[in-house]
Amino acid sequence: MREFLATFETFFNNAIFYYALFVMGSYVVLTLLSAIEMNGYMKKNSYVNYREILVSPLAPSVSILAPAYNEEATIIENIRSLLSLHYGNYEVIIINDGSKDSTFQRMFDYYQLEKVDFAVNYQIQCKEIRGVYKSKLPSFSKLTVVDKVNGGKSDALNAGINVAGKDLILCIDVDCIVQEDALLKLAKPYLEEKYQVIATGGVVRIANSCKVEDGKLVEVNMPRNLWPRFQVLEYIRAFLMGRMAWSRLNGLLIISGAMGLFDKNIVIKVGGYDHSTVGEDMELVVRMRRYMYEQDRRFKVVYIPDPLCWTEAPADLQVLGRQRNRWTRGTIETLWMHKDLFFNPRYGILGMLSYPYWFFFEWLAPIIEFLGISIFILLAFMGNINWEFSLILVSMVYFFSLALSTVAILFEEMSYQQYTKGGDLVKLLLAAFLEPILYHPLTVYWAIMGNVHKFAGKNNWGAMTRKGFTEKKAVQEAPTQTTTI
Amino acid sequence: MNFFQTVFNYIRETYTDRLFYFPSNIRISLLIILFCVIAVLELYVYISFRRAQQIKRKRDEAKWKEYIDNMLANLVIFDESDSTEDIVAHFYPKMSKLPLRNPIVNEVLTAEILTYHKNFTGKIHEVLSILYRRLNLDRKSKKKINNKNWEVKIEGIREANEMRIKEMAGEIIKYTDDENSLLRMEAQAAYIKLSEQYPFRFLDRAQERILDWHQVVLFEIITKNKQLSIPSFSHWLRSSNDTVVMLCLKLIEHFMQFDAAEEVQRLLKHHNPKVVKKSVEIIGKLELADAEKHMFEVYFDQPEEIKLEILNSLGKISSGNYNDFLSSRIYSTDPKIKKEALYAIKRNPEHGEEKLREIYKQTTLENQALIKHVLDHRIKP
Repeated sequence: MREFLATFETFFNNAIFYYALFVMGSYVVLTLLSAIEMNGYMKKNSYVNYREILVSPLAPSVSILAPAYNEEATIIENIRSLLSLHYGNYEVIIINDGSKDSTFQRMFDYYQLEKVDFAVNYQIQCKEIRGVYKSKLPSFSKLTVVDKVNGGKSDALNAGINVAGKDLILCIDVDCIVQEDALLKLAKPYLEEKYQVIATGGVVRIANSCKVEDGKLVEVNMPRNLWPRFQVLEYIRAFLMGRMAWSRLNGLLIISGAMGLFDKNIVIKVGGYDHSTVGEDMELVVRMRRYMYEQDRRFKVVYIPDPLCWTEAPADLQVLGRQRNRWTRGTIETLWMHKDLFFNPRYGILGMLSYPYWFFFEWLAPIIEFLGISIFILLAFMGNINWEFSLILVSMVYFFSLALSTVAILFEEMSYQQYTKGGDLVKLLLAAFLEPILYHPLTVYWAIMGNVHKFAGKNNWGAMTRKGFTEKKAVQEAPTQTTTI
Repeated sequence: MNFFQTVFNYIRETYTDRLFYFPSNIRISLLIILFCVIAVLELYVYISFRRAQQIKRKRDEAKWKEYIDNMLANLVIFDESDSTEDIVAHFYPKMSKLPLRNPIVNEVLTAEILTYHKNFTGKIHEVLSILYRRLNLDRKSKKKINNKNWEVKIEGIREANEMRIKEMAGEIIKYTDDENSLLRMEAQAAYIKLSEQYPFRFLDRAQERILDWHQVVLFEIITKNKQLSIPSFSHWLRSSNDTVVMLCLKLIEHFMQFDAAEEVQRLLKHHNPKVVKKSVEIIGKLELADAEKHMFEVYFDQPEEIKLEILNSLGKISSGNYNDFLSSRIYSTDPKIKKEALYAIKRNPEHGEEKLREIYKQTTLENQALIKHVLDHRIKP
């Protein structure tokens, strides 16, 4: 028995070690690729005058789709912010997804809406649209409100796509703070790539503790609460390092649900968002990519490192846990729905690299980590642990993680440097020290719970409560005919 | 203190005396730890150093910017009766005393002169051009243009472009078909402004693609520059480079060049669907009634996107010759085709809406909904 345990321990140590080495190796490669991509992007775009897209009649037209469900407190402000984006040819479509509060009524009153005879072409499946509304005020002519039966975010976006009249669709979370020039930056890749661009995404940043006025971000601050601060670090790592590298490889599988610009025709051809998954953002990109491969068309999914959209990160552990649980279930569902891609050479980099990477390192990594910790505890109880070796292995993972986060901070410093205050930088560096000990174990736990819930058949979205950026105004007066935006 | 001493001794022994006796995976782990710790420390030093340097640079830049700004602001308030040469003679000695060998001063001065030059016209504009040359900044721009680094070349081209250093057009044309798309675009944009004789010569030799983004930039420059003599862009519609054809089509549309009508009609049979679509769009915009029959001839072989554009153009021309064809389209199985055909019928200013109301009475519920949609003026097509 003792001999078996010793053999098992050796096997276990080696297996975990080589898996960790493989994961770390992949991170190093992604970091290098990301550095090349970032450097190229920064050089290329330092000469760009975005005003040229803004005023040009040749710029692609964009429909902004923002589903709203029970958003009565902020909907007026959010729409106003969307209507003031810097772009020439765009429309804003707000989809009231059967809100139970007064979201629709508030929009109706404030923007002086009236029902129009819109003949909806149900090109993709969605629940019944009760009516399409336009504002009586010419200053809000860009605004369209769709009132529909509740069907969830994917369903609302599909309804919006059916109503959208422009070439590109920007799918966003209505409560996000969008940078004024976000559309210009997202639209540019559609004009400059050699191959057809089917989707673009940008960096989503954390807005907790930041100063927001009139729906616009006026001062960037590091979150005061520790959990959002860890998420700042996590987002910088994921967006500036991970996604930029995948964009370089043209192997990107996900465009954040908070903000992504898509080629409407391709979205319609693949059938729009899937209602059956909670990871609809990732699933759509995977489906669009596989469609392009099946059609033998050359294409690109582009990620840009500019901070384009600011969102409130969950500061409450319960809410954060629900979010991560959902993300895990979304990943599992997408991977399962497209299981035939696994090492399938027909799908090029999607089948041979992106899918396997997500399978082994995004889905499997927390499970292996959890198993590793469980077996370690078991062996420790049985007295079969070499504590010194274990400490060295754990230290290796810790210091690697610290180095990776520090490189991510360096990327942030060398690119957009959003946190200009010295104190904020120190806080970020300190967060990198604590994150592997305090935050990472929780993300593993939530990922495991996501797996458990998925296989137990629990498929709900999970309520996401947010504090909001500003104090809500009690009354918002309706504008008059002369209102300008 | 004892604890730290013990830890330090343990680490030292681990990496010096014991390292080679560990199993290979532990050895690799120890090396990775060492590498990461050194990397993190170096990164901290680098980040701190970079921040400090950045603060110093910003401070220096602000100081010089304020100084140079004040100097240039005096140009604006100079007496109108003074001659250009007098103003230059007043400012040149002051400016030449600036420590131009200091890269920050050089950068700030160049940037400020460029900004003022862009924002002012008349005498100030002229004075700045002369000062730029007298301070030998034009030579620096030329040097930049011939630098091997593409970013520096672009900087030089931009400076030459803004300061209208026309003699540099000859240097710049060689980059108008460069492999580097950014350099190519900057060179094309500058060449249009700087070449006095033949600003569109680069279109003759363009082998590389003019990306859509570049087309946006060139379109802006060409359409906003009032001093540019606009040629007939139909000249390049037979180019083997489709992107040249696309750019010229956009310009033909903007400048409403009716002389291009025949060439545009010919493009309805072009191999590139983008070119065909744009040609159809122009036929509609220029209301080329003669082209209707050609569009009708090609209609049935086209993909949906071009079919929609043809219907749209037929609507814009509204000659009445294809009313029956447009009406028959509402029996199509494609709702987009139906809607576009209905919009085309509506575009007839005399009896478009009347015709739609007539169709409404005789058609299906689905088509009736579409007709109501098309007739609703609050909905933009």
